[in-house]
Amino acid sequence: MYDAPTLERDVTQATTKFSARNVQVWYGDTHAIKDVDVDIEDKTVTAFIGPSGCGKSTFLRCLNRMNDTIDVCRVEGDIRLDGEDIYDKKVDPVQLRAKVGMVFQKPNPFPKSIYDNIAYGPRIHGLARSKAELDEIVENALRRGAIWDEVKDRLDAPGTGLSGGQQQRLCIARAVATQPEVLLMDEPCSALDPIATAQVEELIDELRANFSVIIVTHSMQQAARVSQKTAFFHLGELVEFGETGHIFTNPEDERTESYITGRIG
Amino acid sequence: MTDASLPEPRHARSLKEVDARTNQRNRAETRFRAYGIAAVATGLVFLLVLLGAILFNGVGAFQQTFINVPVYLDPAKLDKNGERNIEDIKKVSTFGYNPLIEQALLDAVQESGAKTELDSAADMKKLLSASAAAQIRDTVIANPELIGQTVDFRLLAASRVDGYLKGRVQREDVTRDKNIDVTHLDLTDELHDAGIITKGFNMAFITGADASESRPEQAGLGVSMLGSFFMMLVVLGLSLPIGVAASIYLEEFAPQNRFTDLIEVNISNLAAVPSIVFGILGLAAFIQFAHLPQSAPLVGGLTLTLMTLPTIVISTRASLKSVPPSIRDAALGVGASKMQAVFHHVLPMAMPGILTGTIIGLAQALGETAPLLLIGMVGYIATNPPEGLASGFLDPNSAMPAQIFEWAKRADPAYYERAWGGIIILLVFLMTMNIIAIILRRRFERRW
Repeated sequence: MYDAPTLERDVTQATTKFSARNVQVWYGDTHAIKDVDVDIEDKTVTAFIGPSGCGKSTFLRCLNRMNDTIDVCRVEGDIRLDGEDIYDKKVDPVQLRAKVGMVFQKPNPFPKSIYDNIAYGPRIHGLARSKAELDEIVENALRRGAIWDEVKDRLDAPGTGLSGGQQQRLCIARAVATQPEVLLMDEPCSALDPIATAQVEELIDELRANFSVIIVTHSMQQAARVSQKTAFFHLGELVEFGETGHIFTNPEDERTESYITGRIG
Repeated sequence: MTDASLPEPRHARSLKEVDARTNQRNRAETRFRAYGIAAVATGLVFLLVLLGAILFNGVGAFQQTFINVPVYLDPAKLDKNGERNIEDIKKVSTFGYNPLIEQALLDAVQESGAKTELDSAADMKKLLSASAAAQIRDTVIANPELIGQTVDFRLLAASRVDGYLKGRVQREDVTRDKNIDVTHLDLTDELHDAGIITKGFNMAFITGADASESRPEQAGLGVSMLGSFFMMLVVLGLSLPIGVAASIYLEEFAPQNRFTDLIEVNISNLAAVPSIVFGILGLAAFIQFAHLPQSAPLVGGLTLTLMTLPTIVISTRASLKSVPPSIRDAALGVGASKMQAVFHHVLPMAMPGILTGTIIGLAQALGETAPLLLIGMVGYIATNPPEGLASGFLDPNSAMPAQIFEWAKRADPAYYERAWGGIIILLVFLMTMNIIAIILRRRFERRW
């Protein structure tokens, strides 16, 4: 894939965060992910695009083993985070998920106060030794989530009382609060209006400075706006993976071209 | 979008004209609404009739007829040695007290100037409850210094006198009744006018114990209420933790396979098993096999626990299921373990449902009679109120519904009234529990 002509490619040589080889996922008898190989770089936004049911969310959920909670789901192949096999028997998925945070399609704040929403992760992971330290973590996370100014006066208000866009930024702040290394986002803007979407996209771009961000999206414009790398999935296969600019201007595969020009999907 | 040409619109007529088909559908809807209103109205009528009947029949049990009479506690009869030795006083049985009371009543009758042919002390006996002597004896034993004084007593009247004043006993009924004669009824009227016989609130019905067949005026629901209370303690203490733990495991942790499916089907079926089956199971397991004491609230509680568990498990699982999976995802997504996700987030959100289910299960257990038949908690169990926890759990007792059943079975119509009165008390308890369930649900409910 490095033979591809480089368009707008980052000159800094980024390190690989996730590397997947030969990944297969079955839901019962359905072969949902076929032979996916991909390398995801650190401090980059990678977008997964593709038509509905193409397996992009499934693959995303393999990266923090959220698929473990589904009984019929079976994952094969090799997925490494910083060179360590995350499906190794010795790996505790709970520890993995502290390192690989996740933001979901629908904003899902806990039915608790805004403060408790953010503080929950740090509390269970023992990241704060004192109340003051916890306060600081919460404030930093909320600033990171670009929501601090809107909620700083009402940290005791329920998180569920915020607007949809605010809730989603709260969820991003909550994911950031546990100090993960990778942030997985599963269509984070699909329930948001254009203004809230713009805010979240801006936020994603800022988060790139510290995290590797992987975002699943239905909107090709969004992928083009926020990501540096794009992977196109179709019917469970990874069809094409490369620089975002390259994928959108000069796709190599016919299916990619059909999708981004709107002929399929 | 497509090239296919659309067919001509079917409704070429004006919108203001209603076509036959629409008419028909509207009529069907109106009919259905009428059925619905009729069904609701029928239900309401039944409910009103039921409540009316219960109140009409049962309110009488909360009133009792008393005879107010000063009794001279004759030392020559009650304490022959004159030493006020409590052991000597206890030796005088209720038979020793009867003549005193009868004489006292006769004196009161004559003093009041009531016109009556009855002029011997023995004639007064039929007006008084058989328990009147015991009432005085208990007072004397508790306060021996009263001996030698004339003390005002409020004695229970005989149940026929009580029934006569409440309209239950008619003059024409008593001609062949050996318990009372028409002359007694005449005297009752006279004494009622003179204020010697009065009606008052019947506290003993709420606090007292069951009484023998021949003295319904003394019977109360209090002790069996305690029996029910201890049973409910056992049911709550066992079925809530077991039921909730089982549901959480089945709903959140257990793998989906044949075995768990089988368990699930069985739990649903258990909820529909007739309660008498649980009764015979309790008899076999707890009494015949484990040799726990018969008629004890502990055994009743264990048996009712078996019966309540499926209800609690089903409602708990339903409320766990109703917690959106996104909350579990959210917790797992920030690195909570499965158990943390369940206990920190899912369980608090399911709490109102769990509590409602538990209280409804308890209310069901509180009103259950059939299993108690088989473990010996039904029958004439006239015990004193239990002294302490151990005796509360282990001494023979009855339960409210069993006591009501027992009263309804007895021949004397006075007991019939008590049974209805007991049902009022039972319903008050059940209503209270349901109201608590509603309040808890409101309080714990969270907004999304």
